[in-house]
Amino acid sequence: MGGKVSCTLGEIKNRADFIVYWGGNPAECHPRHFTRYTLTQKGKFTPNGRKDRTMWLVDIRETPSAKAADVFMQVRPGKDFEILTTLRALVKGQRVNEAAVADTGVSLQQLQEFADGMKKAKFGVFFFGMGLSMTRGKHMNSAAILTLATELNAFTKFVAMPMRGHGNVTGSDVVMRWTTGYPFGVNLCRGYPRFNPGEFSTIDLLVRRDVDAVLVAGADPGATMPQPAIDHLARIPTIVLDPKVTHTSKIAKVHFTTAATGVSAPGTVYRMDEIPLTLRPALKSPYPTDEEILKRINAAILKKSTWMPVDDQADALV
Amino acid sequence: MLRIKGGKVYDPAHGLNGVVQDICVADGKIVADVPPGCREIDAAGLFIFPGGVDIHTHVAGAALNFARAMTPENQRQATKFFHTAKRRTGIGGPTPTTFATGYLYAGMGYTTVFEAAVPVLSAKHTHEELSDTPILDKGCCVLMANNEILLDLLQQGDVERAKHVVAWLIWAAKAYGVKAVNPGGVAAWKWGGNASAMSEPVSGYSQVTPLKIVSSLARIIDELKIPHPLHLHCNNLGAPGNYTTTLETMKALEGNRAHMAHLQFHAYGGDDWHTMRSESQAIADYFNAHPNLTCDAGAVLFGNAVTITADGPWQHLLYQLTGRKWGNIDVENETGCGIVPYSYKGSNLVNAVQWAVGLELLLLIKDPWRIFLTTDHPNGACFWRYPEIIHMLMNAAFRRERVKKLPEKVLPRIVLPDLNREYSLYEIAIITSAGPARALGLKNKGQLGVGADADIAIYHENPDGEYMFRYPRYVLKGGEVVVEDGEIRHQMGGREFIVHPSYDPKIEDFLRPLFQQQYTMSFENYPVELERLEHPIIHPCE
Amino acid sequence: MIKFTLKEIPTVPLETEQLTPDVLATLDHAAIRALPAFLGKRRHAIQDFFDVEGERSDQIEIHGDAGRVKWIGRAMTRGSVRVVGNAGMHLGSQMKGGEIHVTGNVSDWAGAEMAGGLIHIRGNAGGQIGAAYRGGTTGMRDGTILIEGTAGLEVGMRMKRGTIAIKGRVRDFVGLQMKGGTIVLGGGAEIRAGAWMTRGTIISLEPLKLLPTFLYACRYQPNVLRVIARYLEPLGFPLPVDSAVGMYQRYTGDSAVPGKGEILVWNPHGT
Repeated sequence: MGGKVSCTLGEIKNRADFIVYWGGNPAECHPRHFTRYTLTQKGKFTPNGRKDRTMWLVDIRETPSAKAADVFMQVRPGKDFEILTTLRALVKGQRVNEAAVADTGVSLQQLQEFADGMKKAKFGVFFFGMGLSMTRGKHMNSAAILTLATELNAFTKFVAMPMRGHGNVTGSDVVMRWTTGYPFGVNLCRGYPRFNPGEFSTIDLLVRRDVDAVLVAGADPGATMPQPAIDHLARIPTIVLDPKVTHTSKIAKVHFTTAATGVSAPGTVYRMDEIPLTLRPALKSPYPTDEEILKRINAAILKKSTWMPVDDQADALV
Repeated sequence: MLRIKGGKVYDPAHGLNGVVQDICVADGKIVADVPPGCREIDAAGLFIFPGGVDIHTHVAGAALNFARAMTPENQRQATKFFHTAKRRTGIGGPTPTTFATGYLYAGMGYTTVFEAAVPVLSAKHTHEELSDTPILDKGCCVLMANNEILLDLLQQGDVERAKHVVAWLIWAAKAYGVKAVNPGGVAAWKWGGNASAMSEPVSGYSQVTPLKIVSSLARIIDELKIPHPLHLHCNNLGAPGNYTTTLETMKALEGNRAHMAHLQFHAYGGDDWHTMRSESQAIADYFNAHPNLTCDAGAVLFGNAVTITADGPWQHLLYQLTGRKWGNIDVENETGCGIVPYSYKGSNLVNAVQWAVGLELLLLIKDPWRIFLTTDHPNGACFWRYPEIIHMLMNAAFRRERVKKLPEKVLPRIVLPDLNREYSLYEIAIITSAGPARALGLKNKGQLGVGADADIAIYHENPDGEYMFRYPRYVLKGGEVVVEDGEIRHQMGGREFIVHPSYDPKIEDFLRPLFQQQYTMSFENYPVELERLEHPIIHPCE
Repeated sequence: MIKFTLKEIPTVPLETEQLTPDVLATLDHAAIRALPAFLGKRRHAIQDFFDVEGERSDQIEIHGDAGRVKWIGRAMTRGSVRVVGNAGMHLGSQMKGGEIHVTGNVSDWAGAEMAGGLIHIRGNAGGQIGAAYRGGTTGMRDGTILIEGTAGLEVGMRMKRGTIAIKGRVRDFVGLQMKGGTIVLGGGAEIRAGAWMTRGTIISLEPLKLLPTFLYACRYQPNVLRVIARYLEPLGFPLPVDSAVGMYQRYTGDSAVPGKGEILVWNPHGT
């Protein structure tokens, strides 16, 4: 990460008057977002609710979220990085090439208006979704919007945060960081944590066939990943832990049905702003929890003869 | 059961200054005697210290975890902790992972650490990380001085209700003490401002000044009989000329107890970065004359650091000055945090002054029972570098050599060259263990008398203080040998100290509607459940 | 000379960071065969994967499809490594001197954070060539990387000095956050070349689609290219610089930072 300026969702509710959703469709994917956090709540400094806020929606097509927006800015696919980079320049009063801007599907004038709106805000926020973080540019698109938010703090209060997918992605990120130092894509082969997205991230490992066994918990790569990755999952021993029989389960060697977290299994979930919330199960399940299964697998592994990488700093590879 | 035989015991709580005597351990405690035939550790020629107590460090929670995310390049270079049959894996560096934190502290002879800053809203996260920090006993201080519900009560003059809210929040967070960071300033930062003038109302308020927040909180904490006093990070941290703010703040605390955090960062004179100089003498003079105060040094060492504080406006300024990457998270209604990786350089005039001021305070403040060794880890330096500071405190000649390496221009701005005091081992035992334990009100820590927790560090004698304290021969925690000659021999979970101050349960009727209005979760989901803590120990408030 | 012949393609990546002239120069045959090689999580020996001939030399040859062998030549300071075949990730990572020649293709991170020496790839390269590792502020600090084929994403990311010359086309983000140094693109690039650069020079012999934050300055014959050409020509990477054809369009950017980098796009006919 190059740095990030953010806040918890209550700050948005209480203060934000300029809200931008970029590459996401909260009306359908985060159905409570507008009503709980960003648009309709009467907050401490936003007593007039919706009237105290301006919302811009930026996307490649008009989704149901556009109905809630004050301004819908339609952009050409794959141009977000260009637009965000241009905005970084405009915010600083720097020159840009007008024809190149127009190629993004938005005019320079519109972007100037956008930049002015950002600077005039009392408290602005970018919420960005997979339409930004998973399209051409990937992590650089995320870096672009985070950097823009950081730079806007020279003029006013501005934050940015990613809209997270379903499940407990944020929680796994948080726990991985405190135990291994890194949020995802952690390699423990050499006996200590190493991090290199592109080398150790899941899709890359599967497509390159760099792994020869896979355990999947709380995800369904068989439904979402590129075909070469799915083919490799089918080729090697794959183990799935899930409340349902998933696409991945169907190509796996072993499937454990486990209790649904939050419904019949307890735990802690981390909200998109990294605030922990306790899950209290409402129902009982005949199935064991993910935790029980993993503990039993671990206990069985420990019974096997021990091998460990040599504890020697000389063997450490940066 | 265990007998540590024939070591030279340094137990300042009982006045023992290198007395050769046995220490006996049974059931995790120090006992008067053990029967013959027990395990013995031959400590002839070795020095016995109570286990170290770090009163102010940043090792767990959302802010630190954010810093980990921001600095993968530090982690690549850091010490690797290999997974073995006896040890979990991890990474050292300025923001160690939790298992590594336990091993690094224990490896240095420290057995109790206090996480300096916890927001209530993310306290569950802090406690999870502390539970995942092996070996050490812990506690934490909950952030309070920018809590908007509290500030609103102070605005209304409702101090009585404020007291109940403070007590309720401490228990909700499962904290041990109360932390105040840049009172009023972090609240103002929510709109991009700060609070630099102690007597001026905080932005958005007419009756609430930083001074009022400080004195109200200190008074409330004393009335609630919280064992540890208000733990205070003053306004204007890091700013040239801020010593006047610190003096003003200390004056407002007369009549109450207070612990001044990382005092080094608050002892500067001058008008700007070009004229910045040390005012440690002025601070030390006032401090020496006012026994209601304790402090920790917050010393700086040259090298890499990561600044992590709740002082949002200060961190933003540091980012603007250095251009390094900047992280910031504002926490609704409560506080915030800012992170900027930083390097202290001996050739940099400001850094050289900072380096001197930390040592000056340790040398000018007379009573070692009131100043404690810290670096505000990882802000001033990494905690495992404490032995470097110990060496400089014990050896004036070595210190003078270091001063010679500073740029000439710094010398008129500091007083360190004139200070010849040398710390004895007895005094080192006080500032690293006995003193912090006493300031925390932890009677069974920081001492080696019968009934104390058997947290013991055993060192080889070495004229080089740094070497001596970096490589203990043995470290015991709760009577178990956890470290021997740099190897982790055994690990276990630690315990967490918390307090349960009394409050009127009806305060929840006051808080609930406010909470629902200003926060974004159900009131029922806000407090930390006691079950979430690993081995909590409720310390009485009396 | 020490010759390593790969016996078979490893089933998962093999990490062999000890295969460098610095390590091998002083070792006898038995010691070389016993050097560690990590197959996934298991520690093996070099001899489990390679036939070894020779000893005590800083001239190394590796034969076989070593596309899954990572960290060859890591941090080397002298000697030479010749790969007859492909090589895996992190080839010559952080090297300070010496030469690496590869007849086939290489993967990502070749020459990452390198500080000197030469890497010459006859085939194609992956991404992050001469780049900084994640979170690091600086990529390549010096040295030369030559690639006859194509290359992937983020070539030269955060490089500070040194030269990268590529004959084939490269993908997005070449010169990302460049701080200095020179990148020569014989086959042009996909999009976002020079994104967020602060200094440095990108020379492209094909037209480029530039970010809106790059502004056209002028069309001219840059004299400095003669110096660069004189260096690259003997290495097999000629640059059009004589007065008949050596005209380039100069763009400055990236104004988003704002940066003082330049992109020179070959424009012999003034189109």
